Order: sequence, then structure tokens, then C-alpha cells
Amino acid sequence: MTKAPRTGERDPARGHGDTDERPLASDIARVLGDPRTWGSGVSKEGQPGDGGTFGETVADNLKLTQGSRVAVIGGGPAGSLFSFFLLKTLALIDTEVTVDIYEPRHFDHCGPAGCNHCGGIVSESLVQILATEGILLPAEVVQRGIDSYVVHMDVGSVRIDTPLHEKRIAAVYRGNGPRTSERITTEGFDRYLLDLAVSNGATVQHKLVTDVKWPEGRPRVVCGDGAEATYDLLVVASGVNSQVMHIIEELGLGYKTPSAVTTFIAEFHMGQRLIQQHLGTSMHVFLLDIPRLKFAALIPKGDFITMCMLGDNIDEQLVNTFLNAPEVRRCFPSATVPTNCCHCFPRINVRKARKPFANRLVLIGDSGVSRLYKDGIGAAYRTSKAAAMTAALHGISEEAFAHQYWPACRAIDRDNMIGRLIFGVCHLIQKLRFSRRAVRRMTFLEQTTPSSRRLMSSVLWDVFTGSAPYREVLVRTLHPAFIGGLAWNLIAGNAPNARVREDKTMVS
Amino acid sequence: METDEKRRSEPALTGEFRLEIIQPEQLDKLPPCRAGCPSGTNIRDWIAIIAQHDRIGLSKEEAYARAWSRIVECNPFPATMGRICPHPCEADCNRKDKDGAIAVNALERFIGDWAIQQGLSLPVLEADAKPESVGVIGAGPAGLSFAYQMQRRGYAVTVYDRHPAPGGMLRYGIPDFRLPRHVLEAEVDRIVDLGVRLEMDARIGMDLPFSELRARHEVLFVGLGAQAGKDLGLAGESGVDTWTATEFLRRHNSGEDIPIGTEVVVVGGGNTAIDVARVARRKQANVTILYRRTRAEMPAIDIEIDEALKEGVRIEYLASPIAFIRTDSGDLTGIQVQRMRLGEPDASGRPRPVPIEGAISTVLASTVVNAISQEPDWSALEELHRGDGWLRAADQQDGAISAGGDITGLDIASHAIAQGRAAAERMHARLRGLPEPQPAPNGTAIDGEHIETDFYPESFRVAMPEVEVETRLSDPHLEVSATISEDEFLNETKRCLSCGSCFGCQHCWMYCNAQGFVRLESPAPGRYFVLSLDACEGCGKCIDVCPCGYLGTLSAQPRL
Repeated sequence: MTKAPRTGERDPARGHGDTDERPLASDIARVLGDPRTWGSGVSKEGQPGDGGTFGETVADNLKLTQGSRVAVIGGGPAGSLFSFFLLKTLALIDTEVTVDIYEPRHFDHCGPAGCNHCGGIVSESLVQILATEGILLPAEVVQRGIDSYVVHMDVGSVRIDTPLHEKRIAAVYRGNGPRTSERITTEGFDRYLLDLAVSNGATVQHKLVTDVKWPEGRPRVVCGDGAEATYDLLVVASGVNSQVMHIIEELGLGYKTPSAVTTFIAEFHMGQRLIQQHLGTSMHVFLLDIPRLKFAALIPKGDFITMCMLGDNIDEQLVNTFLNAPEVRRCFPSATVPTNCCHCFPRINVRKARKPFANRLVLIGDSGVSRLYKDGIGAAYRTSKAAAMTAALHGISEEAFAHQYWPACRAIDRDNMIGRLIFGVCHLIQKLRFSRRAVRRMTFLEQTTPSSRRLMSSVLWDVFTGSAPYREVLVRTLHPAFIGGLAWNLIAGNAPNARVREDKTMVS
Repeated sequence: METDEKRRSEPALTGEFRLEIIQPEQLDKLPPCRAGCPSGTNIRDWIAIIAQHDRIGLSKEEAYARAWSRIVECNPFPATMGRICPHPCEADCNRKDKDGAIAVNALERFIGDWAIQQGLSLPVLEADAKPESVGVIGAGPAGLSFAYQMQRRGYAVTVYDRHPAPGGMLRYGIPDFRLPRHVLEAEVDRIVDLGVRLEMDARIGMDLPFSELRARHEVLFVGLGAQAGKDLGLAGESGVDTWTATEFLRRHNSGEDIPIGTEVVVVGGGNTAIDVARVARRKQANVTILYRRTRAEMPAIDIEIDEALKEGVRIEYLASPIAFIRTDSGDLTGIQVQRMRLGEPDASGRPRPVPIEGAISTVLASTVVNAISQEPDWSALEELHRGDGWLRAADQQDGAISAGGDITGLDIASHAIAQGRAAAERMHARLRGLPEPQPAPNGTAIDGEHIETDFYPESFRVAMPEVEVETRLSDPHLEVSATISEDEFLNETKRCLSCGSCFGCQHCWMYCNAQGFVRLESPAPGRYFVLSLDACEGCGKCIDVCPCGYLGTLSAQPRL
């Protein structure tokens, strides 16, 4: 799949150097965008230094040009989407580069060996965005279309239907299903995206990157089998569940790994029929007052149920406490949670990495900045596209990434600050029984009254799915109608006679 | 994890959920190559020294020398066995269904040749001289293996053999186009260099009575081999134009000229039959092998059969000789052949050949070589003969006599070498009052179920270069195959999957969320990480991503 350099051009293994080049990709972008450079062809701005070889300037050198070599560590959504966007964009300006995606795992293996450790929820808005990019998620990648949420609290459960058609969500497997599942029954999401990158010209190197060196200002990738290769650009999309980001940190290029917390994911086998009977096509969310627990959900997927948990210092004890809670057990046949067939404690990014870029280096997806708790795939999409556009059109210098890529990351990070506030409030609701009653009552009435404005429902939906920016969610909660509605439900939901009446009608 | 362990062992309350955790265990498993090697060589581990040499801080040459030392612990003939062994070690290689089994035979040959070129000496185990004198009857692979293992432990060993030169069947049974004499001699000389005395042309029981031998040595090893060919038992069988295969090959390999005429018929389907046929082809004769079953049942190694066919040997399957056809003057003109069909399985499990009534034909023959089977030549050694044709290894007289090799039952040279070594280890333990030596591991080898072959990049098995058929036939002594190049050798070692032994791929270290694996500063094959179960979160991911099956679930696993 690797495209060969054109005849008469320089050695692709070096990927840089000669001066008798065709116009460079970023030159094209700059020339078209900046009239001052018209007529002068290639501009010579920039200083000699890091990354430049003798007689070249940084600006000449820190660009992807015909025959450049790009290494992408990690073949998850971020790495695959980056490769896809980069190759597609460069193809438009007739620049052929080599893109090697280093991904040792095979996504057609079931269990952890082929998995990328996440709940596997893709919001319909992201599905639509991907469709506009020409990425049409095939039906076989989607395990089950989810059309509703059921929120379980000690004060009762309430069902929230999809507020709008485009707010539907899809459940996908990141690998090829849990440990005990049959192989190759469905196509995994990550495999689909990786194949897409390959069909656009990327090459998958099924090798584990065990070290990264930086000789003469250029990234050099070292693999487990001892093989080494030098590249013009290194893209790290390894996530936070491998050692790669620590290796990058130790290079001393200014990158500092993001803060991460432990989550929990497990799979339970139940079979489609029982799942349909007990969970339906709903994602089940639990707001329970269990110490250290922030959020937990059960997601139906084919023959399995995926369970995701967020909290502080999640450990085996917290998992057992949660799964033995009556609200959870009720979701399973005979109120018995089956033995987990696959589980892990993956880490997720909760605070952005410091300076996820340098000359010839960019970190995307979870290795850089992600959305708080939710929509990691959406964040992978945004950061990978921003990084690919920067590399294709503006160069691969630290400066280019700082000006073109970092703003996209910063926007996510700022939204996360608001997200932290919202999750703080959610946590408070979880802790306070009277507030749980109010939320439940308000949501229930919205769901059962066709003409009502779905204020609380849409807020909860977006908080759970991550399908809207947290800022937007916050703005909606500041709406007088929302505040008024909540205040009324706080009173009405906690009045003694109202509670009795509701308990009779709000059984879900 | 102590609390987890405790909780796991307590029965759960009805319906109560307990997270099922899976913890890893670092445990070396028996690889199929070692399980399949009769001489018990730890093939995976010597390959690992070379394949991983840069990771364990060894130069190439240091790695070669160390690997060779590992091989000669069990087998002092790597260059020889690298040429002639039917390599059962490759049969169950977990790579065979991916892109071809590791070419262990070719690797062994390379390292053996390298050691000969370097003039490496066999390693001495115990320098102090032992008082007991050791006698060995037979300078074949079993006898020389025994002699080597005793001499390197400090015993004074004398080997007696009726032939003029040492090597036994390796010299007198195998043609030089498969095993050049200089290779065999170099490896035998190394054993002699340790101090082993050779008394050649010594016919025990005739020139030298067995009783005298017993008086000379405290310990005896009988590695007489099976040098006597069996007769077909057909009328007209005796004559200057009929041979047993062992005698035919002995004469040929001693440099004697054998007039064979133009039409040679070889009877039998084993490796000896193939060797005879190929020798006869090099004498420009037309050669037909008669075998009473089909190719599927032929005991000869596939590759040897293929080579013979390439060289123009004809094989008539389902054909059994019933009479020699001679002229009135006694000259052989042909052999009458009964055509067979396959019937019900016999005691060996192979289908029994059944004659087809009336289906008799004639095959032209100027010479017939009978390669149906062979047995020990007991002449003058009747006191060792127990009546059933073979000497059993356990038939030891007061523990001072042991036996090994073909005299205990026909088998491949690797098996004879293993028996010689095992006998020496037992004898040494007996003489020194040491505990009985541990038998070679013979448990179930780790199978493909536990190996993630997808994790290994595709890389096809190396093939030993071969000489063109025309050249072979015109230069009868020319070795048919050549040793692989050093690059091919290094690449082939890297193909090894390292079944059941850590090779430092780092997947476990890379993906453990709990950082339970810590890299060792001075790693060695099989030892790259320290595992901390205190940190373990019990997800079992490391076990799933371990491609070689070294990490298993913490519980009972077959131990080495």
C-alpha cells in the first residue's frame, strides 16, 4: 500500500533534503493564502536549527513533501483517522508520502488482545460527521442501535428516549468482542477505521514500538524485534494504556503525559434474547450513592453486555459493591449478575497533556487531549483531523502545531472544565436523595407529557452520551425554564403525598 | 491481592457477584521441538541465544559459541546430524501451518559447520580423573556418544570397533553425498581429542574375547549397532549379484567397487533402501525400488524419497519380490514380482499388503539389493544375546554393562546418541553414588492453541541450497545440499516463535495498566521481566497478548 516516490526523486528513507523539489504542500497552502509570497515561489522564512540539515532552513525542512515518511504509533481511531485525513489531504495537492501505522494488535482477535478498552459508544452526531467525511459506518460494525437511556437511582428508574433522531447512539466493539466470543462474527470499529486508512495508502506495521530515539532532530522508531526506522514526522496515538507516552515524555521535548484515572470495563454474556428482554435497546445508567462511584452504565451489544464504570480509585471491591447493588441486579435475569467473561481496568485521560507537539512530533487522541469521561472517539476524531490538516498544509514544526493544532485541543480542554463542573453537580445529585427525586420526577414528567419541553431529559442525555459540548449543556441548565422546573420538582418530588403517588406511577 | 485470593477461595453467597480475576504466571513450557528431539536437545533455547543475542548483550560469535556448547551437551555431532537427521523436532513446530516450520536441521548444520571451522573443542565437565576404566563396543553414534559423555566426566574410555575407521553406520551406512567424510571425521576427532582411545579393527569375541574386555574395564557399553542385513528368504537369492543393503553400503562407503550392471532392483521402503538406490543411480544404473505398500506407508523420510525420484529412481509401490529369475548359467536377469493391495491394518497400524491373485510380473534386474531390514550381528557375542534378537538397555549385568543404539532396536542416529548419553549419565551417577539423573522432559508440549502466530511477521522457511541433478549424478561424491548462508541462518533463528519461553517482546510490559511488569537490567532468554502480582489487577490481558504462551493463568500448568 505504501506509495513509491516518483522516479528521479530522492531516497524515501531520508524523506528530506534536496533543493530541487516540487513545490511543497505547505508552500502551496501558504502561497495560495498569502499574496505576499505570490511570484516568489517557495518562501525562505524560518531559521536553521532543530530538524534542519546543513544548508536548509527550518521552514524548508519541517514540512511533509513528496516521499516524506510518517510513523503513526497506534492504530486506534486517532491513528487511523489521522492517517486517513493526512493521506486524503496530501493526495489533493498531489503529494505522496509513506504512512506506517504501528499497531501490534490484531483487531480480529477477541478479548483484550484485540481490544482498545472502552465502552464503545459512538454518538449519532459523530456518526453523521464521519459520514460527511466519507466514512460510512457499515451496519455490521454497529452492535446495536441504542434508542434510549434508562437512569437507575435508588429512588426509582426513569427512561429517556432519544430526544431527536440525530441524537441516537451506536454501540460498537472496539476489537472483536470479549474473550469468550466467537471470532470474526462482526467487524470491529477500530479494524474498520484501520482498513480505511490502509485503503487510502497507509501501511500497517504489526510491530510493537518499544522505544523512540531522536537522533539529529528526527524521530527514530525502535520495535520489539530490534528493527529501527527513521521518519520525518512521528504521530503518537497510543492512548494512555501503554508505555509509549512515557517513552515520549522521556525524550525531553516538553511533552508531559496527561493525567489519567482508572476506569472499569467488563463484559457479561447473556445472549440476545435475554438482553432484549431485560435491557431492551436502552443503555442503562446508574446514579447510585456508593462511595467512590461516579458513574456506571450497562450497554447492550449483541450477545454481551458491556459495563463501564467511572469513579475514584476503582478497584475490585468497588466493582463488586456496585454489581451487588439491588438497582443493578434488577437488570439481570433472576437478579443475578453472570460471571464476567472479560474485564479490565483501563485508564482514561482526564486532564490534557502538556505540549503534545514538538518539531516533527504530535500526540493525538487520548495521548494528547480528550473529552472528559465521554466521547473519546469524538475527541480522537477532532484532534486527529486538526493534526493531519496542520501536518499536510501548515508544516510539522512545533510552531505550526502550536498555531494550527493546539487551538483544537484547547477548545476541548476548556469544554472539559465546564464538564468537570457538570459532573460535580451530577455527583451531588447522586449524593442527595431529595435531588435525585427531583431529577427523576422532572425527567419522568417530560418523558410522559408529549407537549412538554424536554429540558432535564436533554441535559441528562447529553451528559451521558457526550454528544453535545459541555458548554452547551451548561447554557441549557442556566435557562430560567430549567431552573424553575428543577426548583418546582424539588418541592413537588419531595412532598410526602407526591412521593406516594409517584412511586405508584413511575415504575419503569 | 492477598485479600482477592482469600475472597476467591471462599464460596460466593447465592447470587452474589464476585469479579472473576485472571492472574498471570511466568512459566517455561515444553516446546514441541524439544519434545520431538530424540536426543533431548533444548532446541528452542539454543536458537534463542542466537536470535536474541543483541538483546542479551552477546556478540554474534559469542552467541554461536554458546549455542553450540548448549547443543553438544546432548549431541556432539551437530554438523553430522544437521545433514542426516530426519528432524522429528520440526514435525510439530507451531510455525508449520503459518509459513513453514523452523528449519532446525539447517540451523544445526550451520552452527556445526561453524564450530568445525572455528576448531572449537568439546567442553570438559569434570577435570578430575576418575579411577574406573570404561570400555565401549562399537564406534557408532551410540558408542561415541557414551564415550564422549564419560570422557568429559573424567573417565578413561577405550572404544573398540571391528571396522577400520570410527563412525559406525554414520560412516558405513550413509553415503558421502549426504554426509561428507570430512565433516564426520572432524566431529569424531573432537571426541578423540578429549582423550578417548580408539582400537579399530578389533573384532570382539574373535580377536578379543569378551571376557578379556570385561577384565580390562570396570564398565562396558555395548553399542554394536545392527550391521547384519536380513535375507528375503527366496530361492536363488544367493549370488554375486545379490546384496544386503548394509553390506552393499559398507563396501561402497569403504571405497570398494561393486559391479552392479545396468538394472538395479532395491527391495524395501526405508531410508537404507533410498540410500542404496541413490548410490546405484550414481553408478549410472537404472534403479527400481520395490515396496509392498504405498508411498504413504513408506518409512523413509519424504525429502529423501523426493530426492531419489528427482535423481531418476523408479519406485514400484504395492510390489513384493517372490522369485529370482536366473539364466541356466546362474546370471540374474530379473525378479518376479507379486502385485499387492492394501488390506486391514496389521499390528504396526499400517494396512497389511495382500497379494492380488494372479497379478505377477517381472522386473529386469542385473543386481538386487535387499533393504528390508537389519539386525545386530551376534557372532561371538552370544552371551549378550537374549534370544529375541535385540539387547535391551535394561539388560545390564550387575549394572556394569549398559547398551544403546540399534542393538536395542532400530531407530535413527539421534535416538542412538540420546541412549549413549542417558547410559553415561546413569553410569556416572552409579559410579559416583549420585542421585539417579532426571529423565528428559516428556510431557505434553505447548501447542498452537497457546501461540498467537498472527503476532509474528510472515517470514518463509529457509531452504537448503541443492546441487542440480545432472551435476550430482556426474560427480557421485559431491554433497547434494549446501549449508545455508549466515544471513539466512540469522533470519531463520529469528523466525523461532520461542514457544513457551519469554523472548522479550514486551507486549505484557507495554499493555499492563497496572505496570505489573518490570524490565530486568540483565535479561536472558526466558527472563526479561519481573512480575509483581501485588500490582496485578487480574484482567489477564498480559496472558492474552503474550504471543509465545509463556504467560499462563496462575494455576496448575504442565511444568518442565
